[in-house]
Amino acid sequence: MIKQADLSISFCGVKFENPFCLSSSPVGYHAEMCARAYEAGWGGIVYKTLGLEKSFKVVMPSPRLNAFHSGDKRFIGLQNAEQITDRPITDNIRDLVWLKKNYPGKVLISSIMGYNDQDWTELAKMSEDAGADLLELNFSCPQMAHKRAGHRVGQDFHAVAAFTEVVKKASKLPVIAKMTPNITDMVPVALAAKEGGADAISAINTIRAITDIDIDTFTPLPNIKGKSSPTGFSGPSVKPIALRFVSELYNAKNLNLPISGIGGIETWVDALHFLLLGASNLQVTTGIMKYGYRIVEDMIEGLSDYMLDRNIHSLEEIIGKAAQKIVDPSEFNTRYQVVSKVDENKCIGCGQCYISCQDGANQAMNFDTVTRKASVNEERCLGCMLCKHVCPVWDCISYKEVDTMTTKHAAIF
Amino acid sequence: MKKLIEPDNIMKFKSMREPLTLEAAIKESNRCLLCYDAPCSAGCPAGTDPGKFIRQIKFHNYKGAARTIRRNNILGSSCAFICPVENLCEKACSSKAIDNPVNISGLQRFATEYGKNNRLEPLEKSRKDNGKIAVIGCGPSGMGCASALAKMNYDVVIFEKQPQAGGVPKWNIPEYRLPEDAIHYDVKNLLDQGVEIKYETAVDTTGAVEALLDKGFDAVYISTGLAEAFKLDLFNGFSNAMDYNTFLRQVKFERPDTGLKGKNAAIIGGGSVAIDSAVSAKACGANKVYLISLEQLHELPADEEEIKLAHIMNIIFKAGCSIIRVDADKNRITGLQGIETEWIEPGKYTPDNARQIPGTEFSIRVDLVVQAIGTRPGNEVKGFGRNLQTCGKGVIVVNENMETNIPGVFAGGDVINGGNTVVQAVGDGKKAAGQIDNYLKNRRTTI
Repeated sequence: MIKQADLSISFCGVKFENPFCLSSSPVGYHAEMCARAYEAGWGGIVYKTLGLEKSFKVVMPSPRLNAFHSGDKRFIGLQNAEQITDRPITDNIRDLVWLKKNYPGKVLISSIMGYNDQDWTELAKMSEDAGADLLELNFSCPQMAHKRAGHRVGQDFHAVAAFTEVVKKASKLPVIAKMTPNITDMVPVALAAKEGGADAISAINTIRAITDIDIDTFTPLPNIKGKSSPTGFSGPSVKPIALRFVSELYNAKNLNLPISGIGGIETWVDALHFLLLGASNLQVTTGIMKYGYRIVEDMIEGLSDYMLDRNIHSLEEIIGKAAQKIVDPSEFNTRYQVVSKVDENKCIGCGQCYISCQDGANQAMNFDTVTRKASVNEERCLGCMLCKHVCPVWDCISYKEVDTMTTKHAAIF
Repeated sequence: MKKLIEPDNIMKFKSMREPLTLEAAIKESNRCLLCYDAPCSAGCPAGTDPGKFIRQIKFHNYKGAARTIRRNNILGSSCAFICPVENLCEKACSSKAIDNPVNISGLQRFATEYGKNNRLEPLEKSRKDNGKIAVIGCGPSGMGCASALAKMNYDVVIFEKQPQAGGVPKWNIPEYRLPEDAIHYDVKNLLDQGVEIKYETAVDTTGAVEALLDKGFDAVYISTGLAEAFKLDLFNGFSNAMDYNTFLRQVKFERPDTGLKGKNAAIIGGGSVAIDSAVSAKACGANKVYLISLEQLHELPADEEEIKLAHIMNIIFKAGCSIIRVDADKNRITGLQGIETEWIEPGKYTPDNARQIPGTEFSIRVDLVVQAIGTRPGNEVKGFGRNLQTCGKGVIVVNENMETNIPGVFAGGDVINGGNTVVQAVGDGKKAAGQIDNYLKNRRTTI
């Protein structure tokens, strides 16, 4: 029998069978979709953000999406001009009720966005009554057509604190405040949410970006009838930035709130990266938009095998493990220096390391045009490892430490 | 990437290779490792520089890629279809060490096609102020030489016996391997350079080369290829026996009136042209097509891909066999009597080294016999210049500078090597152009 590690984890006192959730987006647009996601194995769902049409009627622009490609790599990022739900609130509430009734063991998170205190209060109450387990406050949608909503709220500490407080008063449910990355430092906003009573932080929402331009019509894409806007960018391209924000939230001295990590998760390895930097819950949209709900199967199986192989009994054991290693660059030990090392048997003679070292580093790589092998001039090598990163053979180039007490190293003048 | 051969396309003489689409080209170019020393480029006899044009495709500089190909190889469009890349650029590809070589010919077809469809500017015209050169023969080598000379602002005149330019690719290579458009495009590019081609102008009088030099040409390049096909005495005088040159030309330009429908054909030979002849006969509707060679299957000089094509087209291989007798009705062959053979001395693939195996006689019914057993330069070549040095089957002797024993007279391509690839012929032409330029520079300084 195949062993399965225990992937369950408690987040704000709510037990998730696994940390994998849909993030608030088109992938959780209505009950039928969410039901299929639950069936596929997702531990929880953050339903598409609810709003009240009496305050603001959402009409989506068209086309809504544009993908970011690089070379032959398609869809390494996705730009969207999607807003919160455009469905009537009664339909959405009916869907939430149905979902909780049919999937009582799964976690249902209601994402909400109000435009004033009354909206926030109503939405929180309606969600609680419908059976939601948690609330997520959308302070971060970067393309709301409403001028006092989304990331504009998320950039305003006072508004974040005040609206969080309103929601906390209206409902007993734990509250997650969803952060915008369109800000220099996320921690003060998260602290404001905490001040307002937030129980957790989710990050990141999408990054405002321009993914492409039609060079014939001079129109950025998506071309919405001759106009465009820097709207929310997501997917694998944003993961490094998301990881940075998550680690900063985790390491923030006064915050100490659980984190739901979001941003470019496609595989169990991506998921693990977020856990290791301090997230104890994970949310996915772009990966699902590209590959479907089924990707959770590989996340579950992969993460389970990782835990079993390393004798990890609970995800709690590893959360934040890598965040602890993050320091300010001023704290690096610069007596520690390395030089690169080429495995001649694995070298296929393309000379990419040579080109990159010549034009992008310290001219420390030799290339023998007769034998077509690369070798390192250790006296010139800075140990930057550009060579390793451009090498098409994954395990051909590595590095070794140099004893800088006894040996001259090119990086130390 | 495997090249798929569609028998239906071959039967219609439609190209068996399509240019890669933009999407496929982007994918394929991204497989390229952009090697520092570009072994693919070193592997191209004509210096087409795939290392550079693949990089240009990868960085979305598609027109630049088309320019590189055309500038470096005046037959770049044709070579993209017919080059035996698996023995040249792709053989040298570093990606082989990871998985498969980059599909270089596919990328070359893509870039050439892109240039054609996107108003690539014509090649620059020669200023024609750097001396006057005569080129004899407008095949790949003559075109390669003329193009390179025009780039150096020479005034180049090509004398071509045939009514159209292109040589072997034009007359002998079946359209399923090389679409007519490709060779037309290459010739057009050459004409854009201001090169003059005098069609149907045979240079076959004795001392013709000296006459050209006397008439004011500063140098001559002989690139007349191999005009004369070998024939076996056994088939002499029969109206339905011909050489492959004649046959392939008939197929290419007299189709569909080849009269082969439902008939049987025997092709004698085992090289590329033998396979071209066999597959063409089949595509013309022949019933049974036999390929009779002294070489065993694994010894055939034809490329692996061509042999695969012949198999797909149901060519009947009589490998390791020889024809000993002809059955005839008056002057028409009706059948062939053959016998199996083996080599007396292993590894020596010459007719005098083949021994018949008694008791293995066979007979086949045929309506056509095509001989594809090799070619040699035309008889007129010897007379081009008084005492022009030739050897062997009549190939011209040149020194390392591609120069013949007559000063100012150079030669290259099949007429010096006895038969090689199109891309090699272009390379010879380019090299000779450089040597002609050196020769004339030296002559000017000594005067």
